[in-house]
Amino acid sequence: MKWQRSRFVTAAAASVLALAGCSSTAGSSGDVTLNYWLWDSAQQPGYQKCADAFTSANPGIGVKITQYGWDDYWTTLTAGLVSGEGPDVFVSHLNHYPELAGQNQILPIDDVVESKQADLSSYRKGLADLWVGQDGKRYGLPKDYDTVAVFANQKMLDDAGVTAQQLDSMAWNPRDGGTYEKTIAHLTVDKKGVRGDQPGFDKANVAVYGLGLNGSGGGFGQTEWSQYAFSDGWTHADKNPWGTRWNYGDPKFLETIGWFQSLAKKGYMPTLQVAGGGKVGRQPDNYGAGKYAMVTEGSWNTKTYFQLKGVKTTIAPVPAGPNGQRASMFNGLADNIAAGTKHPDEAKKLVAFLGSKACQDLTAAEGIAFPAVESSARISKDAFAKQGIDTASFQVPIDHTSTHLAPVAQHWTELQAVMNPAMDAIMSLTAEPDSLKAANHQVDALFTQ
Amino acid sequence: MKFLPARETRAAWLFVAPAAAGLLAFTLVPAVRGLFYSFTDFSVFRPGKFVGAGNYRQLAADPVFWNALWVTLEYVVLNIGVQTVLALGVAVLMHRLTRSMVIRGLILTPYLVANVIVALVWFWILDYQLGIGNQVLDWLGLPRMAFFGDQALAIPTIALVNVWRHLGYTALLIFAGLQTIPKTVYEAAAIDGATEAKMFWRVTLPLLRPVLALVLVVSVVGSFQTFDTVAVTTQGGPVNSTRVIYYYIYELAFGRFKFGYASAVSVVLFAVLAAVSLLQLRLTRAGQSDLA
Amino acid sequence: MRSEPRGIGRTIAWIILGLVLLVTLFPFYWMLRTSFSSNGALAAGSGDLLPAGFSLGGWKRVFGLATPAEARADGGSGASLHFWLYLRNSVIVATSTTVCQTFFSAMAAYAFARLRWPGRNAVFFLFLSAMMVPPIFTILPNFVLMRDLGLLNTFLGIVLPGLLMAPFAVFFLRQFFLAIPRELEEAAILDGAGRPRIFFRLILPMSSAPLSTLAILTYVTSWNDYFWPLLVGKADDVRVLTVALGVFRSQTPQGNPDWAGLMAATLVSALPILVLFALLGRRVINSIGSTGLK
Repeated sequence: MKWQRSRFVTAAAASVLALAGCSSTAGSSGDVTLNYWLWDSAQQPGYQKCADAFTSANPGIGVKITQYGWDDYWTTLTAGLVSGEGPDVFVSHLNHYPELAGQNQILPIDDVVESKQADLSSYRKGLADLWVGQDGKRYGLPKDYDTVAVFANQKMLDDAGVTAQQLDSMAWNPRDGGTYEKTIAHLTVDKKGVRGDQPGFDKANVAVYGLGLNGSGGGFGQTEWSQYAFSDGWTHADKNPWGTRWNYGDPKFLETIGWFQSLAKKGYMPTLQVAGGGKVGRQPDNYGAGKYAMVTEGSWNTKTYFQLKGVKTTIAPVPAGPNGQRASMFNGLADNIAAGTKHPDEAKKLVAFLGSKACQDLTAAEGIAFPAVESSARISKDAFAKQGIDTASFQVPIDHTSTHLAPVAQHWTELQAVMNPAMDAIMSLTAEPDSLKAANHQVDALFTQ
Repeated sequence: MKFLPARETRAAWLFVAPAAAGLLAFTLVPAVRGLFYSFTDFSVFRPGKFVGAGNYRQLAADPVFWNALWVTLEYVVLNIGVQTVLALGVAVLMHRLTRSMVIRGLILTPYLVANVIVALVWFWILDYQLGIGNQVLDWLGLPRMAFFGDQALAIPTIALVNVWRHLGYTALLIFAGLQTIPKTVYEAAAIDGATEAKMFWRVTLPLLRPVLALVLVVSVVGSFQTFDTVAVTTQGGPVNSTRVIYYYIYELAFGRFKFGYASAVSVVLFAVLAAVSLLQLRLTRAGQSDLA
Repeated sequence: MRSEPRGIGRTIAWIILGLVLLVTLFPFYWMLRTSFSSNGALAAGSGDLLPAGFSLGGWKRVFGLATPAEARADGGSGASLHFWLYLRNSVIVATSTTVCQTFFSAMAAYAFARLRWPGRNAVFFLFLSAMMVPPIFTILPNFVLMRDLGLLNTFLGIVLPGLLMAPFAVFFLRQFFLAIPRELEEAAILDGAGRPRIFFRLILPMSSAPLSTLAILTYVTSWNDYFWPLLVGKADDVRVLTVALGVFRSQTPQGNPDWAGLMAATLVSALPILVLFALLGRRVINSIGSTGLK
């Protein structure tokens, strides 16, 4: 009974809204404003340029950009979708769109491709496929892609006598950490000036950590640990996309995380307590303050690091792993259309434009993210070069075909609700990697219900 | 009676009508609806189906739920314990030293500021790298502390931050209670040669019992509902150390689309709070002032 | 007079009270100090008691006086706080809640305290038991209700659940109304006054002290509320100051927060209620004391 009635009320309210919507659009000569949401404030200027270009190409369709921080982007989005006052179009993430598609909260855009408004062959290989849901429908067009590299403080490298060649040829293994760990240890300095690889090093009073920590990475580990785990021959799940059996309890993962955790135990890397304070790690902050000599970071954050005052940064490729590869996660964003939008046709036009070369040339010129459209790559490279940034290190895993696509799966928020605390505990040194076996059981259980 | 009973009844219902409508529409009916949701797998986006006691079975086996309950309890005990003792101290100090309205006003100031603001300020003051709090520890030669980042420190930190906000308010309530104690009682005690400490334990505290009981009833129930500070600072972490029950419910409902399950958790919280209130009510009755 | 503590004991007591005041007030100073600092200088000058690298940048960013490009260069996100809009929203929400809730609660309290009618005790018991229902229990269903009524992101949706009554207010006022001497009311009845007239001309004026106490507390609570407006009123045009501050915090660049801008924002959000307090000081203090002594 109750359900019936509330459905009736919803229907009534919806029809009133629809009427209001119709009459208002009819009354104002077709002027429409699309609400567009994103989380990265650094990319807002680039997308503003795209939005302006879109409006001048499509008079009568305005775009209003709103930015919410990553911390509560998804809860705000949920509330927005529920109330129907959310965005028409929003920047989406591979981890999150399957759930939204499963709840019928985003619109398929196959017709955009069918009507030739978008050209799937223009994108970098593999990126477009990621946005086809489990139901076989397409939900997004790629905007950008990213990989991971090592950022290092040039002055600290010089002081420690680490050469560019050493930095570019680092190798890692889970037993003794290889030359990568040696470099990290050597770059670590305690408050008395003793280096991490010298006798008398005081790990309780570290002034500069050889490697920074952005967070525990949860079940994703994009910039934190995925590059190591991948190069040890590990993958997140049995298959990707749409994995159902997870590998967080796998011996390869346990040894990788065990080694990663050992850096914190040895005082070469901060524990989560020291690194964090809150949910988001404060890596750029700490790196800028000279507390970290090296960090692993995603390409989209490059500009942030090069803008830090008083620090000169060098980028190096991620270390080679036991399988000889320099591996990196390969991830990319796209825009989704909210199912509740009152202007689906206009929204599709916007999504098509954001996925086109015209827009990606504009964002590429900002020199922040790498464009998904291959022919925009030239502009992107120039834009980075103009800021004095050499992005070659980000290309290394791509050239070596050792990139791994970001995991795309159902139940991602649920998975993270298990994996975030589990990994946090390990990187806070309050749990051992063995505890991941139990966590993996919980994760697998999500997919058998 | 000059008013006819029927007329008076009609007038009464007119007077009560708005409030009763509010009670019915926004408390009683929603309470029943909430109970109903707790037996479904409602997800806000689509109507749920009846799952019987499924949510409750899941809840009984959910370690995060039990942890949330435990963390909340830890928070309440620390928050209320420290707050009551400190507020009592401050109230007695003020009572013995000064009648100044300015001092009372200054002490009350934090209470007027929203939790969100309080949380942000202390998050900044206690920041590991840049916060003045850790700078002071440095000056004192003590090791820096990750107040919000350390699993063992996060809940005590949040509890104390909220003590900071509520201290003045609680102290003023107790202060008002102190003012009702007749001076003659102290004079009599002084004549008997009682010391300050003795007067506090023998006179002040017993006579203050009803006020203290009331303060506790109000603040304990409020303390169970802590949310704002966690939402602005730690968001449940590190690990699950600050995932208090309110935050867990919010996360389930709005982060994970589990309205049904979230409702079941709030039913349990309701039961816990009801038990606490009943217990307190009994203790309050037992604690009538010795002056009465 | 009772014997005052003397000499050393008194000095120590004053020192302790002074310390309490210091801890109470220091964070306010620290907001001010940080808001006039520049983000770049905060790391090096984390112990400076005066602003580190004095700058008005934080304030400019909060009020949207810096261009997004300038804001980002100084460590901001480019977002600003539409202070006057959010202030207006907070005033609308807190004022309408306070006025309506106090008034309707007073009406109900009057019926419970002064009128005799069948079912009075049963209904009053319902109100009392509502005090035991924790807000979270009704928040989820109320959220769904507001959605079904299409009231999400409207002022009505934000205020409606608290507009018609608060169980505590009814309970609190009933205690005071009970204490009003019956003779006064009977004299009015002899003069031919009806119940509404008695309520407006006699009961309300006589209860101005408890009414203002209640109103002040309701106003502060409503002004500082975060959870409910966060759920139902996040849209820009109805966003209240507390929610705005939460959003502003989340917008700050990840990894390196704009502390100067954040502290300017917290201070500016705290100011309205502090100004109100400065104006009403004594009354607020007395009010809070009296809620504990019914």
